Amino acid sequence: MNKFAVLQLSGCAGCEVSLLNADAWVDRYKLVYMPLVISAYDVPQVDTLLVSGGVRNDEDLYNLRRAVRRTKHVVAVGTCAISGGVASLGDRDAVRQLFLAEEGRRHVPRLLPRCHPVDAFVEVDRYLPGCPPTPELFMAVLFDSSDFKPSRIVCQECGREKLKDMRPDHLLGFQQGRVLPGICLINQGYLCIGSSTRGGCRAPCPRAGHPCVGCRGPSDALIEKDSAAWMESIGRVFATLTDVPVEEVEAGLRSPQLALFLFQFSDYADGSGIGREGRPPRPKEKML
Amino acid sequence: MPTLTFPLSRIEGHAQVVIEVQGGKVVSARFQAMEFRGFRYFVQGIPAEQMPVIVPRICGVCSTAHHVAAVKALEDVFEVTPPPLALKIRELLLLGQIVQNQATSLFIFTMPDRLGLASIFALADEDVGEEGALLATRVLRVRKAGTDLITTAGGQFIHPVKAVVGGVTGGVSSEQAAAMRDEIEAALPIACELFDYYWEQSLALRERIGTWGDDAPACYIAAVADTRPNYTGGDIRVMDAGGVVRDVFPARDFRGFLDHEETDYSYAGRTSYRGEVLRANSLARINMAQRMGTPRADEYLMRFREAFGWPAHALLLYDLARGVELVYALERALEILEDPLDGEDTDVGYTPRDGEAYGLVEAPRGPLIHHYVIEGGLIADVEFIIPTVHNVRAIERALRVAAERYVTAERVDMELERAVGRVVRAFDPCIACATH
Repeated sequence: MNKFAVLQLSGCAGCEVSLLNADAWVDRYKLVYMPLVISAYDVPQVDTLLVSGGVRNDEDLYNLRRAVRRTKHVVAVGTCAISGGVASLGDRDAVRQLFLAEEGRRHVPRLLPRCHPVDAFVEVDRYLPGCPPTPELFMAVLFDSSDFKPSRIVCQECGREKLKDMRPDHLLGFQQGRVLPGICLINQGYLCIGSSTRGGCRAPCPRAGHPCVGCRGPSDALIEKDSAAWMESIGRVFATLTDVPVEEVEAGLRSPQLALFLFQFSDYADGSGIGREGRPPRPKEKML
Repeated sequence: MPTLTFPLSRIEGHAQVVIEVQGGKVVSARFQAMEFRGFRYFVQGIPAEQMPVIVPRICGVCSTAHHVAAVKALEDVFEVTPPPLALKIRELLLLGQIVQNQATSLFIFTMPDRLGLASIFALADEDVGEEGALLATRVLRVRKAGTDLITTAGGQFIHPVKAVVGGVTGGVSSEQAAAMRDEIEAALPIACELFDYYWEQSLALRERIGTWGDDAPACYIAAVADTRPNYTGGDIRVMDAGGVVRDVFPARDFRGFLDHEETDYSYAGRTSYRGEVLRANSLARINMAQRMGTPRADEYLMRFREAFGWPAHALLLYDLARGVELVYALERALEILEDPLDGEDTDVGYTPRDGEAYGLVEAPRGPLIHHYVIEGGLIADVEFIIPTVHNVRAIERALRVAAERYVTAERVDMELERAVGRVVRAFDPCIACATH
């Protein structure tokens, strides 16, 4: 039986919890290291290493470098491992100073100046984006994924109908409340970015009435392009479906809630991403 | 001075225990949280209304509690009261979290300590008989009922999205509710069988090690009423070791009762109640409960009381208390799912305001408070009052009790390593939350 390990760096364990929801691996794959559920203090030789969380402190970096030597394949799992995730919100001038207050401690891992994605330090064979990836996605990355057919974008998995004659002229902001069932959230004035976000999650959020925030990152069409291309793409969708001024859409896209995931769009593409300066775009062939 | 370091596993997040020994005497026992991301810093300056989507990322295990606490904090300052249907759906959401968490803590984190295993997923290598071989599959099935409840009531399966200021984004259709009821009805008997097995194995463990662990008196803290526990948070209550409720206060008054201190050896601080050691989590709630209010859970509660008295203080009883809650949460969710949940009246409008916002829920680990200072619609300051932090002094005290038991002038009994794991896991600490 193939063996796999899960290395959790600085993160929320949501990826691990999602993996536990995918119970079908239990009989088919041997989990040999995952401190959340197994008492084993070292990563043994494995076929596949899943890495979740970002590299936030020196211990994360040490554990990562050590573990990748013992595996054939490295899979970066979740937004934090792929682009630093939510902790990257700390990489702003306004708050960076606050972190210095944490330097008065001993006997704990030292914080790095910022949160780094895994591939800033080691080669990654496969990327599994999502916050967190669904159990179905975990199964597809652990096993042969040839029969897993994700849609190109979240929009195609959402099932809400786009209407030609329901054109809001402003965004609704957060005045969310009850959402009309079955109708595209953009038609209802929500800033949903499922039209440029990678499919494969089966769109749980927009189905439940919450706009897609883009946690799966850019679709294949945008993955090698910069954030301006992505902004234009969203702009075109809103111009087709709404009369919302383009400036309003752009301002909304720059809000932190979306930035939480959206700064990764530029991060995927080129050397502008944190800790990836000068590296080539992440190839779409490696994304699931 | 000899220093014993114990890395921890089968808990959420990165932590270790360090025990210092000198001349056969235990000098100190420390619980160190070893990770830090800085939520209290990096959410500053963001629009307050975005918090319910950002804060679940504090923790993928406790995400639901943070999601609801954020919404409640904003409702507190905007002075808006959600309609009853929305409150019911939120209760369902938090029950899903209790099911998922207590099943994980009992059967994945601490069951191996009862069976002498490294993990329930390592069973293929062990001779554990037929009962053991099916364990992992059955455990995951119970756990999944909790996850599916979160998905049904919360939209996303880990970081929920359906709770919004003023209510929820929509109801639960009768088809969804029926499917969920079927799943819970199938999971409930499995949960009870697993819990009975767990109870037996706990008695065997007690026989083997000769103790139920540290039972020194402590004050208990919880934010649930004394019957039919509702995890959506009312007032915070503190009960003393004799069972007397000493204080009842709303979240916004917590500073009058709880003192927080930072330490230089951990990214989590620790809390005291009027200078005393405090205990939160399952045992606190069970000690405060008169009844659970559902049939099977009440049977278990009665059995618990007959066996261990009231209030119960021994450490390993935390784990058994979790089982009572697991059964309760499944039963209570069934009750709620009997009611129509597909009504239109799921939210009310609101006007954003600046001010001091307090949101409280009873998370699996105890009362969780989100405190926001909102200026110009933006977060100017924030505090996350985390239940795991309330338990840190109690954890360190219990570690010391364990260390004194197994360290003598001649030797360190390596049962100490297992004892450290049992002590910490009894409190089911969450390090991602505690450090945030």
